[in-house]
Amino acid sequence: MKVKRYYAEHRRLVLGLLSVISFIVGWEFLLTYVFPLNPFFLTKPSLVAVAFNEQVIRGALWRDLAVSSRAFLWGFSFAVLLGIPIGALMGWRRRVEYTFDAFFTALYASPLVALAPLIIVVFGVGLLAKSALVFLLSVFPFIFNTFAGVRSTDRLLINVVRSFGGTEKDLYFKVIFPSTLPYIVAGARIALGRGLVGIIVGEFYAASEGIGFAISRFGDTYRLPEMFAAILVLMIAAVILTEGLRKLEMLLAPWRSTLETR
Amino acid sequence: MTPFIKARRITLTFSPKNRPPVTALQDFSLDVAKGEFVSIVGPSGCGKSTFLNILLGLIKPDSGEIQLNGAPITGPSQERAMVFQEFGLLPWRTVKANVELGLELKGVPSNERSARASKLIELVGLRGFEQHYPHELSGGMKQRVGLARALATEPEVLLMDEPFAALDAQTRDLMQAELLQIWQRTQKTVVFVTHSIEEAAYLSDRVIVMTARPGRTKDILRIELPRPRDYEMRLTPEFNEIKSRVWGVLKEELSSRE
Repeated sequence: MKVKRYYAEHRRLVLGLLSVISFIVGWEFLLTYVFPLNPFFLTKPSLVAVAFNEQVIRGALWRDLAVSSRAFLWGFSFAVLLGIPIGALMGWRRRVEYTFDAFFTALYASPLVALAPLIIVVFGVGLLAKSALVFLLSVFPFIFNTFAGVRSTDRLLINVVRSFGGTEKDLYFKVIFPSTLPYIVAGARIALGRGLVGIIVGEFYAASEGIGFAISRFGDTYRLPEMFAAILVLMIAAVILTEGLRKLEMLLAPWRSTLETR
Repeated sequence: MTPFIKARRITLTFSPKNRPPVTALQDFSLDVAKGEFVSIVGPSGCGKSTFLNILLGLIKPDSGEIQLNGAPITGPSQERAMVFQEFGLLPWRTVKANVELGLELKGVPSNERSARASKLIELVGLRGFEQHYPHELSGGMKQRVGLARALATEPEVLLMDEPFAALDAQTRDLMQAELLQIWQRTQKTVVFVTHSIEEAAYLSDRVIVMTARPGRTKDILRIELPRPRDYEMRLTPEFNEIKSRVWGVLKEELSSRE
């Protein structure tokens, strides 16, 4: 009975954990008892765990993570700082929208990682090129989501504030900005995923350190457990960032907290 | 004596892009005395809401004169406040912060704002809900917030644009009764737009019936029922007689269109 009640109350957690654990156990089981393990092509969770532990103790992965984070932070920050104002301007002024819409849409729709070799040629190997790639990939979700948020501001609320004698500044700060904020945070989640792709691809192409570099180096040398350990670190970082954004969204938009947003 | 609200030959034509222009109001005139409760009824699209927006100062008429207390209306001002049909509450603000909106825009210091908002929240019967967000309230409660917000700036004129149209029938009856009480207590001048003849007859001193578009005054009916009015009054033959009189005038406008 107790188990049943616990399940009913924590269904989400229980089922989620169960699927992850089944995956890991199934993987381990298959490669231990069903197929013989060829360590050049495959690895299994127990070996990954050992490698992860070693790497963590030696600290190499954390150093790589720190290197990648720096580039990510620079690129992402610039994406926020430029993307939001550009999107807002596009939302406020038709002229700006018409000028940039076609151009930005084309860039957003294209797989911009294709530009990675060019960017590395221009900016060289290192922080700058990686940051530029992250920026390029993550700026568009900010632009388009801010734009959509500003454009979908409820006209009624604008009229309400105007009717009480609100100035244009009041409209921006008391209506347009708060109603756009959830759109921006949703954009940030998309930008996050794209930015991570940017950093990894950048490091695949040309780098001497960083998580992406670690993954590609371990892969090239058939050290699969270490490679998966690096991927695991990346996954953990990504999950923490995504969850952080969800928490931020709840903090910034408590009126939406009862809505299930994912 | 000059009327408190004076509208003379208001004409307004909308010219939407790629569509023929629409004349919403044509030579519409109306006088409202101070403290009077006036309702405007008319077919859909006859320009009654447009007229409220002109009174509010959000729309300028193409021609005609509109004055409040002898001074022309040129834009929004806190002497006039609107209660909106779809409530128009800011979803990211609590009940209290919503009620404070007008005061905040006026620059009233925060402790005074807070005190006045609390008083009005009490007046509309929402004590205990100060920290709730609009999505946590029922439709009736939302409109109470809308009413409190409009009253917070102590306007002389309360403009109500089908304020109870989005509510269910019982909530609507309840809100009408409470509005009458609040009106009697605060002595505001009210211009009330509605589709409901019953609502107009129950609440008002006068009912203005508008023609189909372009809107002008079709007829003005004085509602000679004693005040304070209560729900039982709506069951009397006199009330029904008034309703059918309003309906008789309005019917011609509806049938001339369909």
